[in-house]
Amino acid sequence: MTTRENDLDVVAPDEVGTEEQIPQKVYDITGHTKHPLSSLLINPNVFTFEEKAQQEKVLVVARSHWFTNVGWMLTAGLMFLAPNFLRLIPFSSDISIRYKILGGLLWFLVTFAFIFEKFLSWYFDVIVITDKRVIDIDFDNLLSKKFAQADILMIQDLTFKVTGFAQTMFNFGDVFVQTAAEVPQLTLERVPQPQKIIRVLQMLKEELGGKNAK
Amino acid sequence: MLNNVDSYLLIIEKIIGVMAAVVYSFFALIVVKQVQTMSKNVKDIFNPLLIVFAYAHLMAALALIFLVLAVL
Repeated sequence: MTTRENDLDVVAPDEVGTEEQIPQKVYDITGHTKHPLSSLLINPNVFTFEEKAQQEKVLVVARSHWFTNVGWMLTAGLMFLAPNFLRLIPFSSDISIRYKILGGLLWFLVTFAFIFEKFLSWYFDVIVITDKRVIDIDFDNLLSKKFAQADILMIQDLTFKVTGFAQTMFNFGDVFVQTAAEVPQLTLERVPQPQKIIRVLQMLKEELGGKNAK
Repeated sequence: MLNNVDSYLLIIEKIIGVMAAVVYSFFALIVVKQVQTMSKNVKDIFNPLLIVFAYAHLMAALALIFLVLAVL
């Protein structure tokens, strides 16, 4: 290294962090949320996904905000209670006990399936931010999977939208990631704390951009 | 004559009941398959528990077929 480069390092030390510092910087932005059922997992230990490269590190996993589950939870509650209202129907006492048993069992199985489906849809639809890319994994229904990704360095613009009473109250919304990649825009839907997600992506872009420029 | 009609209705009722339970069991089987696929794609701490739930749901659906056969 020349004397001039040494002098520059003293006057303006390199602010680009090492790869080990990146998880800490993510913590600094988002705080610690490690509960496995949290909508926002930071530097998770267990979480991984099929397309993950060996050296890739998962930094953030975001699911839809918990409030988005309230609608189906209320429906499920009503479904559980529905058999109690059977006696209000005229002539229901004339229904044979064997039909009541079979109908009840089928009803509770359908209720369970409804809850299970909704939970699976929430649990497995994830946004993953790694130290290389941002990934959107969607299971729209039981038989379809959508995988979209964008390299962090390909990100051109980041915006977010928080609309309505619930989103404003509970601080969640959509993050729009404009990219120069084949997929021009990734939409991270109903993620918690969209401002922090954007700050994490900006920080990663700066870190990785700086590292590549070195 | 009326007894014959009654017995035919009971048979039809049983066939419909069994068919409904079989269709539901197929759905439960698809759920098991899908939970396995999802778990392979996205791995997290609750995946084994979800697979157990999916199998329990399938077992209950299969039990429903036998229950329909026994009760109806």
